[in-house]
Formats: sequence, C-alpha cells, structure tokens
Amino acid sequence: MTKPMITIHNAETDEIITREMNNSEYTQYQKDKTNAEAEKAENEAKVTQKAALLDRLGITEAEAKLLLG
Amino acid sequence: MATTTNYGWTTPDDTALVKDGASAIRTLGTSVDTTTKNLNPSTTLGDIEYRSSTANTNTRLGIGSTGDILTVTAGVPAWAAPAAGGQTTITTGSVPTNAATFTISSIPSTYNDLILVIDDIQYTADEGLRLRMNGITTSTYNSFFITTNSNTISSSLAADNAYAQYLRNASDLRNIWFFPRYSQTGAAKTGYAVGTEVIPFGGFANKSITAAINSITIFNNGGNFTAGTYTLIGVK
Repeated sequence: MTKPMITIHNAETDEIITREMNNSEYTQYQKDKTNAEAEKAENEAKVTQKAALLDRLGITEAEAKLLLG
Repeated sequence: MATTTNYGWTTPDDTALVKDGASAIRTLGTSVDTTTKNLNPSTTLGDIEYRSSTANTNTRLGIGSTGDILTVTAGVPAWAAPAAGGQTTITTGSVPTNAATFTISSIPSTYNDLILVIDDIQYTADEGLRLRMNGITTSTYNSFFITTNSNTISSSLAADNAYAQYLRNASDLRNIWFFPRYSQTGAAKTGYAVGTEVIPFGGFANKSITAAINSITIFNNGGNFTAGTYTLIGVK
C-alpha cells in the first residue's frame, strides 16, 4: 500500500525533499488520524448531550447561559 | 603616442615602426591587465566590488557573516548584522500539494523570535491544522482558541494532546503564528496564532520542549494539502 507523502524544507540549505512516509512517520500519521476522529466524535457527542439536556430541562441555550452567567 | 578613449591605454601611432610592434603590444597588454584587475579586485568566493574615489579603480568588499545585511557606512557599502528588532525572511515556499505533512527543518537559532506566515492554505478535507515542534509526538501540547462567528464568541481548550491545534479555521485566509524566544534553551516553548476571519486568537504551549525549536511540522488529518504558501521570518 502506498503511504502518504511528506515534504521537508531545509531552512538552512533551502533543499526541499518530498518522499513517502517511513514506517514510524506512517504509524504516527495513523495514530493522529485515529485521535482526531475520536476527538471529533467526542465533540459531536457533547453537542448532542447538551441539546438533550436542554430539552429535558425545557430551556433554551440562551436561558442556560443566563443561569450560568 | 596615441591613447584609447576610455582608459587611456597607449597604442602605436600610424607612423610607428613595425620593429617596435612587440613592445607596443606588451605595453598595451600590461595596461589592459592593470585596468581589468583594478576593476575586478575580487579574490574570494562571495566578494563584491564598488567604485572607489579613484576613477577606474574598484574596491573589494569581502562577504559578510551569515545573516548580515548590506548597508552603507561612511558613504560606501558595508556588511553589518541587522539591528535589534530587524526581520529577516529565513525561507519561503509553497505548501506541497501532494503531501499530508510538511516540515520546515534546520531552523537557525540565531534569532530571538520566529514568525510563520501561512497564506490561504487548503486541504482535501478540513480536519483542522495541527503543529508539532522538534518532531515531539508525546501528549504534552496544550492549546486554546477564541473564535468569533457571526455575533457569538466562544472558546475551547485542549490539554495533553500529541500536537498543537486550534490554529486555523478554513475561512481564515491568512494565519500568522508567533514563536517568542524560540531559540532559548531551558525554557518551555509557547506560541500564539492570529487568523483573519474566524479565529482571531489562539495559543499553544509545550512545557516538555526546552531545547531551541529547530523544526516545525504542519499537518492536517483530513488528507493532502491542495494550496497555500508559507514564509518563515526571524526577528532579532
């Protein structure tokens, strides 16, 4: 399987290298992607939970902010 | 004896004798050689010349030190270190359009602060722009941002991540990231990000990075970059 590409720009020599990720870079890339997806799902779940809670309380988001303010 | 118009080299008269030809050519050659050397006194790689107060005689100026700028001292050119507060473009380039990650490596530690200007960066899918310093992947980055969208303002915090985040919203056409005292060793590394549209201010810190920042890696978990440019600036 082809791995994603990585570009490295050497600020000292201005040399730019674009190559396939090596194994450790690819492992980190996949890990980052998994973490990002988990983080996104967690944030979406929080939004859903918040809406459900407001619904149960029978108040709007603006009213909730007023209570907490 | 006749002379040339510009440099006054001596040439034979029309009535000069043929037997004196060798001597005349030698005299002319010596004059040409002397004038050429006076106009081109360079001896070393990087030398440049400028006109001296003597006509047809240039002065050699040897190359300065790395980071020096060309300035004027007592009416002549001279190399000098930039004054405090001066900015120097370290490097600039286009965001690679066939890669998901790009790193600016071998960042010199000769400046006090770094500024990274990112213009109109785009990617195949927007999962947010992320950043690492010195290739550190441990979960030691803390980030925050303040966002203003329409008439609302909100903020977010993210602690102990493997990257700094909240650096850019897709609507922000220009982002400027500051790395104050990036070359100071023994001190935690911090930074802040300024965007033009949605994220007016964000910040990040990593207390476990105490070495000078010598590389900055930028990536997006959504896929390859599709457009954008970057400029890395050093501030004295």
